[in-house]
Amino acid sequence: MPRGPRVLTEEAARPAPRLDLGWDQAVVPVAPPPISRRWSAPALAAMGVLVLLLGLSAIDVAGFVADQFARGAPLGWLTLGVAALGYGLIGWAGLRELRGLAALESVERGREAVARGDHAAARRAVLDWAARVPAAAPTLPALKQASDLPTLLALLEAGPLAALDRQAVAAGRAAALQSLAATAVVPSPALDGLFIAWRGVRLVREVAAIHGLRPGVAGTLKLLRRTLFEAGAVAAADIAINAAVTAVTTNPLVASVVGDAATGAVAARRMLLLARAASRACRIVTPR
Amino acid sequence: MPLLTPIEDALAGMSDLARAMAGRERVRLAVTGLSRAGKTVFLTSVVANLLAAGQGARTLPALEAAAGGRLRGVRLVPAGTEATPRFDAPGHLAALAADPPRWPGRTEDLSTLELELTVSPASWLGQARGMVMGDRRVTLELLDYPGEWLLDLPMLEQGFEEWSRETLARLRVGRRAEAAAEFLAFVDALPPRATAEEALAREGFRLYRAALLRLRDEMGFRFLQPGRALNPGPRGEAPLLWFFPLPEGHGGGLADLLRRRHAAYLADQRAAFFDPFFRRFHRQVVLVDALGALHAGEQAFDDTAEALAAIAAALRQGGGWMDLLTGQGVRRVGFAATKADHVPARAREALASLMGDLVGRQTPSVLGAETPVRAIAAIRCTEDTSALLEGRPVAAVRGVLMRDGRLTPVYPGEVPLRRPGPEFWDAPYFEMPAFQPPRLLGDGAAGIPHLGLDALLAALIGDLL
Ligand SMILES: Nc1nc2c(ncn2[C@@H]2O[C@H](COP(=O)(O)OP(=O)(O)OP(=O)(O)O)[C@@H](O)[C@H]2O)c(=O)[nH]1
Ligand SMILES: [Mg+2]
Repeated sequence: MPRGPRVLTEEAARPAPRLDLGWDQAVVPVAPPPISRRWSAPALAAMGVLVLLLGLSAIDVAGFVADQFARGAPLGWLTLGVAALGYGLIGWAGLRELRGLAALESVERGREAVARGDHAAARRAVLDWAARVPAAAPTLPALKQASDLPTLLALLEAGPLAALDRQAVAAGRAAALQSLAATAVVPSPALDGLFIAWRGVRLVREVAAIHGLRPGVAGTLKLLRRTLFEAGAVAAADIAINAAVTAVTTNPLVASVVGDAATGAVAARRMLLLARAASRACRIVTPR
Repeated sequence: MPLLTPIEDALAGMSDLARAMAGRERVRLAVTGLSRAGKTVFLTSVVANLLAAGQGARTLPALEAAAGGRLRGVRLVPAGTEATPRFDAPGHLAALAADPPRWPGRTEDLSTLELELTVSPASWLGQARGMVMGDRRVTLELLDYPGEWLLDLPMLEQGFEEWSRETLARLRVGRRAEAAAEFLAFVDALPPRATAEEALAREGFRLYRAALLRLRDEMGFRFLQPGRALNPGPRGEAPLLWFFPLPEGHGGGLADLLRRRHAAYLADQRAAFFDPFFRRFHRQVVLVDALGALHAGEQAFDDTAEALAAIAAALRQGGGWMDLLTGQGVRRVGFAATKADHVPARAREALASLMGDLVGRQTPSVLGAETPVRAIAAIRCTEDTSALLEGRPVAAVRGVLMRDGRLTPVYPGEVPLRRPGPEFWDAPYFEMPAFQPPRLLGDGAAGIPHLGLDALLAALIGDLL
């Protein structure tokens, strides 16, 4: 048995390309099975009701307009105008809804690209986003020039995102003060809760607007869900919130109005937390 | 041992405990390996593959299985205000991926890097903590250093006389004596009461270092001291280095000068290297180029085994009963024969077994039941093939050689299960040629192809995740 180690040179061997072990393919993340986006039963039913309402009313209105034309041309035109205006407004609302959803979707795509480390896609999404958000305008040229993903992210975090987070916190503070005042003046705890819920939804929409999103009803629902998810992470880490709560509730003006701030403090805390969570939910890159 | 260290250790143990309770552990992974063992490449591969795993790539399946799929993300801890250079993992990776590829050169300085692993909590206790503190974050501290310096560790416990005696005794036998003939002739001719002539000290050191370099570079020996004579490091050569072992019976001014330099050198190494970086660690991996040692011949093989045993003994000595009390003695050790891609798949078991024999012979106690001994390749550069050798088919490996860029089969010889008998060592000195790394993505998004790195990491740090 030959034993000594040796290099087995082959005379014919020509310079070869690098060895390819097929590693890149072997390690690609196993993608989770695509979630089939089928309509749920309630959504189907709601859609049906909508179609019936709109469709039947449209047929009804069309008949009505035809009747009016039979009575006289001017009356017919007038009725047609009124009908067109009404349906146009409804259509416009639908369009706004879709646009809101699309904006949310593009933020989602940006986040996914960043998570994958896909520089080209992330850059596209970020530039797209920056064109919509006024706070990002000063950084836009620098963003365009960023040559790699870390630089792009660092620019975003340092410039526009920091500013947007600050604005979101400011909005949260305003909402906190309002709900604090509301707990002082609203007579019943039930109404109290109602006010807080309404103010919370408005706050989330405000923060979304700060981040360049204008969600409609569906978009707001989606955003609310995501915000609740983020709230866990925010509540977990943040001492900053406690500090902000103390700052708000010990404001002398507030103290004089509210007197005992204990119940109000809870509401204020929720608003501050909500603002941060909403800001996390709307960001173009997931906060680290 | 300075008086304060037990107290410092106790404090360190307490802060470890507090961090563990808060879910913010720091784990220092000591990578010990002689020069050319593959430390720098190992660290580069660990960093690249962990970062890729954090992005979801399945580069370390065994580690992920050990972590129960709870690894949520991995990131490099951003640089702070450290005085130690940063281990340039992205730079090394880019060099390996470049065309033509470059392996990292000899490491000449210390460098450190920290990785932060985000892990979702496992127990209900962890989940309860997670509500307050967020996810668990485990910081992995890594250190790269020149392998030669590690052999200063056994020197720390010796005086100049003892060190001289042992070093000269080693130098006088076998092939070492050939390489060091000039130096040995010089010290043997020194008058026993030589005065502190600087010229004598410099000449002795020059000859001694020449012998060390020849032993390291041409013969594959590793038990060579002091480390900075071979690899002076970023501060370059300083007068405290200019000493060499003296035979017994010397008592003049020269002996005095050399003794003082020896002491000053050890104090310097201790302060700059061992105390800050090697006094405390939680996990240890010992990397050995077992195949290289085998190929370098009988004496070089035994020399490597001796060097490893001396280092292991020195590290154990640091950990006495006090360490057990302060919690600093809880260590997990893993042994790995590196460059396992130099042998075909069915010889890798044998390589691991040879490795166990190499590190276990003089230090049976370190090899506990669950101590992993593995054969790994931090970067897999070859594929298995078979070749005809003197008319017989043999299992070999095939890779693109660095020196001429040709795809070449290499027969690594038979790998024995333990230190082979005398008839094995007839084969001439052989040095495995360096292979080109395989095709890599320069940004590291897919990690680095490896062999067994995941299982080693799972055994070393899997319990932390
Ligand atoms: N094929 C193969 N070669 C390797 C591997 N790891 C290391 N090598 C080779 O071994 C050489 C030395 O590796 P290094 O990581 O630089 O060794 P080191 O322990 O850092 O050495 P010092 O810095 O001198 O202490 C490299 O240049 C490679 O040629 C491996 O996994 N596979
Ligand atoms: Mg190195």
